[in-house]
Amino acid sequence: MSAVHQDSPSTADVLLDRVREMVLPCLQCGTCSGSCPNEFAMDYTPRRLWRLVLSGDTEEVFNSRTFALCSACYSCTLRCPRELPLTEAMAALKQAASRLRSKAYRPSLAFYENFVGSVRRRGRVNEMEFMTFYFLARMNPVLPLRFTPLGIKFMIRGKVTPTLPGLGGSRSLEPIFKKIEEMEAGE
Amino acid sequence: MKRKTGSALVVGAGIAGIRSALDLAETGYGVTLIDRADHPGGLLAQLDHQFPSDACGMCKMLPLFEKESASQYCLRKGLFHDNLEIRLGTELTALEGEPGRFQATLRSRPALIDPVRCLGCGDCAQVCPVEVPDAFNEGMTKRKAVYLPIPHAIPNPYIIDQEACTLCGECVKACPVQAINLHDEGRAAFRLLVVDDELIVRDSLKEWLQDAGFTVDMAGSGEEALARLAQTPFDVMLLDIKMPGMDGVEVLRRAKEAHPDLTVIMITAYATVDTAVEAMKIGAQDYLIKPFDPEKLAPMVEKVYQDLKGPGREVREFGAVVLACGTGFADPHEVGARYLYGSHPNVVTSLEFERLISGAGPTGGLLLRPSDQTPPRRIAWLQCVGSRDMQSEADFCSSICCMFAMKEARLAVEKLGPDLETAIFYMDMRSFGQSFQRYRDRTEAEGVGFRRARIHTVAPDPESGGLRLSYADQSGCLKNEIFDLVVLSVGARPASGTSDLAEMLGLEVNAWGFPQPRGLTPAVSSREGIFLSGSFPGLKDIGDSVIQAGAAAQKASLTIHNAGGGLALEKPEASGPRDVSQEIPRTLVALCRCGGRSVPSLDWEREAVALAGDPAVAETIIIDELCTAAGWESLAKQAEKDRPNRVLIGACLPYVYARSLKELGIRLALDPILLDAVDLHTSLRGVTDTGTASNLVRSLLGMTLARLKRADTRRLPTAPVTRKALVVGGGIAGLTAALAVADHGYPVEVVETAKALGGNLRWLTRTLEGDSLRDFLGKTVARVEKHPLITVHMPARIISSAGRAGSFRTVIRNGEEKPRTIEHGATILAVGGGEAPVESYGRGQIPAVITQKEFEERTGSGDIDPAALRNVVMIQCAGTREEPRNYCSRVCCPTALRQALAIKEKNPAASVWILYRDIMTTGFAETYYTQARRAGVIFINYETSGKPRVEPLSGHALVTLREPLLQRDVQIEADLVVLAAGVVPALDRRLAQAFGAELDEDGFFEEAESKWRPVDSLKEGVFACGLAHSPRPVVETVAMAEAAAQRALRILCRETLRVDRVVARVRQALCSRCERCLDACAYGARHIDPENGSVMVDEIMCQGCGACAAVCPNSAAVLTGFEDQGMLETIETALNTALGY
Repeated sequence: MSAVHQDSPSTADVLLDRVREMVLPCLQCGTCSGSCPNEFAMDYTPRRLWRLVLSGDTEEVFNSRTFALCSACYSCTLRCPRELPLTEAMAALKQAASRLRSKAYRPSLAFYENFVGSVRRRGRVNEMEFMTFYFLARMNPVLPLRFTPLGIKFMIRGKVTPTLPGLGGSRSLEPIFKKIEEMEAGE
Repeated sequence: MKRKTGSALVVGAGIAGIRSALDLAETGYGVTLIDRADHPGGLLAQLDHQFPSDACGMCKMLPLFEKESASQYCLRKGLFHDNLEIRLGTELTALEGEPGRFQATLRSRPALIDPVRCLGCGDCAQVCPVEVPDAFNEGMTKRKAVYLPIPHAIPNPYIIDQEACTLCGECVKACPVQAINLHDEGRAAFRLLVVDDELIVRDSLKEWLQDAGFTVDMAGSGEEALARLAQTPFDVMLLDIKMPGMDGVEVLRRAKEAHPDLTVIMITAYATVDTAVEAMKIGAQDYLIKPFDPEKLAPMVEKVYQDLKGPGREVREFGAVVLACGTGFADPHEVGARYLYGSHPNVVTSLEFERLISGAGPTGGLLLRPSDQTPPRRIAWLQCVGSRDMQSEADFCSSICCMFAMKEARLAVEKLGPDLETAIFYMDMRSFGQSFQRYRDRTEAEGVGFRRARIHTVAPDPESGGLRLSYADQSGCLKNEIFDLVVLSVGARPASGTSDLAEMLGLEVNAWGFPQPRGLTPAVSSREGIFLSGSFPGLKDIGDSVIQAGAAAQKASLTIHNAGGGLALEKPEASGPRDVSQEIPRTLVALCRCGGRSVPSLDWEREAVALAGDPAVAETIIIDELCTAAGWESLAKQAEKDRPNRVLIGACLPYVYARSLKELGIRLALDPILLDAVDLHTSLRGVTDTGTASNLVRSLLGMTLARLKRADTRRLPTAPVTRKALVVGGGIAGLTAALAVADHGYPVEVVETAKALGGNLRWLTRTLEGDSLRDFLGKTVARVEKHPLITVHMPARIISSAGRAGSFRTVIRNGEEKPRTIEHGATILAVGGGEAPVESYGRGQIPAVITQKEFEERTGSGDIDPAALRNVVMIQCAGTREEPRNYCSRVCCPTALRQALAIKEKNPAASVWILYRDIMTTGFAETYYTQARRAGVIFINYETSGKPRVEPLSGHALVTLREPLLQRDVQIEADLVVLAAGVVPALDRRLAQAFGAELDEDGFFEEAESKWRPVDSLKEGVFACGLAHSPRPVVETVAMAEAAAQRALRILCRETLRVDRVVARVRQALCSRCERCLDACAYGARHIDPENGSVMVDEIMCQGCGACAAVCPNSAAVLTGFEDQGMLETIETALNTALGY
């Protein structure tokens, strides 16, 4: 934890500060950590993450996988004695991390972006196209192999068809996405 | 003696109400104590044990001198005092007028059972067919609709729960003494007129209202209604708005013109509610919306009935009103639902647990888990359920639950043995009082588990049948533990009805609905003449409630005093008992047969004849049931006829007769010591053999008769009172106490060692709540300086003191002047305290390390500019809450928050770290903790095993500590390290001993009893307040000073103090001056006369314990009323009858 005062805050600091505002009254009672169903997979328990957020430890926060693993079940929010918007704070961290394109969050980001990209083009997700672009984005030749057994199952069920992906599509949802982009830019 | 004649109304007969009422009664005021419940004692009626003694001890609140004026038995069983009128089942419904002359409307529930006639036999409950949950046992047991409100009250008549009662009348038939009358004649005389054009509406309304016992007539139109009103007078008209022909509003207008006293309730459909509201402007009382809800209709009419014609409604005049309405608890179904309260039988509230361990509880005192009635092996307490919880809108700490939970854990271990596993799950363990930390340490040492964690889930564990508690520990590890019983420490809320009461009286309430005291005067409400006692203004434990009660009594006393008193009738001064010392004992013996229930074969006539053989017995009568009014009257008549000089009753529990005997004593002009009651029936219970029974009766009566014969009837001596107070210490506590006494017209001498008044308020500027202490001190000092009755000696010190309550002589020395003697009747020690010296954490070596006081002073002088601070570390508990200063100083956490918030306000970019063990922001101070968190102050918890380290670092300080959540070391480069050093008292042992007061192990004033007599010393006449007593915030110090002043006023208001009946004396001729009695006397009531060397007894200080008589080898020390001759005769009688002689 850094205790040195920074004079010119970075974008990351500004983004983190918004999250900090959300969890300031935290008592560190640990109800959130106890309630979290995904806690077993997290590198920091939610309480520790909030501790890091409150301490202004930007780097460590954005290097953590904790918020990426939040499945927004709202257990912590419902139980927090301070009525803090913890699920929203987790979402805010996800958004901040995506804006910062932080390293630890890149795999998740690749997933989201290609998923949404496919939806944007076609109005629904095309699994084959989405998978292909996702694997390309991850630039990891071994990764597709890890998903092979799942892919075969999908193929047998007819969920995925071995067609070549393309960038075509009706793009009928385009106005909605444009509007969202405008709104985000205006923020 | 001239008596004060003003009277006060005390609302709420819990301990705070009792304390306020007794304080006022003992000061000579008439007091009316009311409670809406049917029993006194409030919440404490349900609690058998209180920490730190883990026992009761409520009786210690009873008057200490002129004891005959009040009851002297278990206070939980009941109370009386000559100046006190107690009315149960009574509420305050309106208050008009102004301070000194309030007109209060009191309304008592009609008693369907005559309490005087009821024997308490319970036959009615036997036959009652209605069963409802018993609120006394928190609903864990059932009771009948006719029941005893609390099992231990004395006398204890049955009452009827009028909500549950179906008026079936079975109990009326069963009652052997015809004490029950379910018929309320007033109702039938209460006439209602129902006006509606729809027959079905009229009919159903009529039926409901007739069921409730009222007389109901009907009218089908407006014209008919007016005609009927002209014929017969009605009390209430229920009037439909929309009718063909004349509409309701028109009927209302005409009816009100002709009959202005008529109460009208409009009936309206939802669509015409606006019209109904309009109708209320032209005189309608209220409105009902169709379709009717009978649940609403009945109470509305009931209320009108009660207000207009209800029995037990009375308007009385009072000089001041003290509200001691207590605190309630959050609804456990709401705040405890997530912990399975209500859905799993083994999840209980702390109050339910209290009942589970009570001998009068559902399990008879065996601690069994509710699901299967087996003893639990593992019990968990969950703290902060509905406290410190935004979800239930409780941004406050309930202040009592931590100590409550510890006490319960200890009692559980005591009950079930050391194999019981206990765990308290908490966020901060708030052992904030002066002796609380050691209690916590003791509790922990005795094996109670303390886990800093908040339980997130409680789930049934099917395998073990227990409850699985899941939580994350400090390090983040997820844990599951199985418990058999889970106790929820449910948070406090305003008592039910607080908001209605506050609205009716026009009192301000705070954000959470608790009445708001005015500024730094905690007992003063927002309406003049109304005072807040006990926990009514919120979140106080017993000790603080009792102090608050004293403060409220003091304020009420002053209000009545300033108004000139004069409201209550002056009591005719009784002529006093006649002198019977020269008469031969002539005893009237009354034997109660207890309606033939006690040993049916026993021949009472024979016993009476046997007794009459004793020459001291003048007359013996046998009464069927002495506890009934008729029974007692027959005794009184006989007594008036015979004019005996002694009366002996053989009946049941003596305290049933205490008050009646006293009154009989006055009627016969006999000293109370000459009348006594003996409990025969308890001893006779279970006895079947006539011979044994007869022996028992003769032995029991004979023993008391022997004592009565030899009763010492000499007149009691009195000692004059010097009606002046001495206040030692000129800080805020001393000044407040001095003003409180002087405002009552008694002179006060204040002795201050410093050169200026004000004590710690000279450096403290603000409270956490933002009140200016500077202004407060300024005003207080100005008043003291101007007060004609207050003399300040400064700088001056106490040289020596001697004396007792009512008459002290203290030598003081003012500067270099010659010592002088002050005579005074009461002493208030308010010598204060200060910040403890601290040398840890590099203080003294590192310039950046300062104390809270230094921070305050240096920011005040401009030496430190908060705006220029970038990194500030505050270390709490620097030297406190561990040996040798093992107590919480209470003020340091709030001070740290105030200072941190001040820094953040001046410079939001500054980083402030507060390193703490447990944040002690009890009560409403909790909200400032939330604010500090919100302002970005960082709080890091540490334990004594891993204290922070502070090292010098180029003009700054480097603070290193282990962050427990991240499990890593943290280093902070701090511009400033502020240490919370805590409070030490300035009371030196010599000074305390000069006044006969004791010090505790930390050098604070040792109170007579921390809960029940918190400002008294064991030596009567010496009181303490402020930091010399215990660490506490300014506002509580003010309350304590006022409470101490009120205790002193009890003495100063008297011209003489009467010696108690039972005191020790010395038979000088037999005394060998071995001085053993001096060591044995716990009250310091004995001393050696310096002139002739004989042992003297101070009769005011003597408490009549008899320890001296027991150690005296020569029988020279005797206890009046327990002289050898009488005692030996008593023993002889006991032996004779027991051996069958």
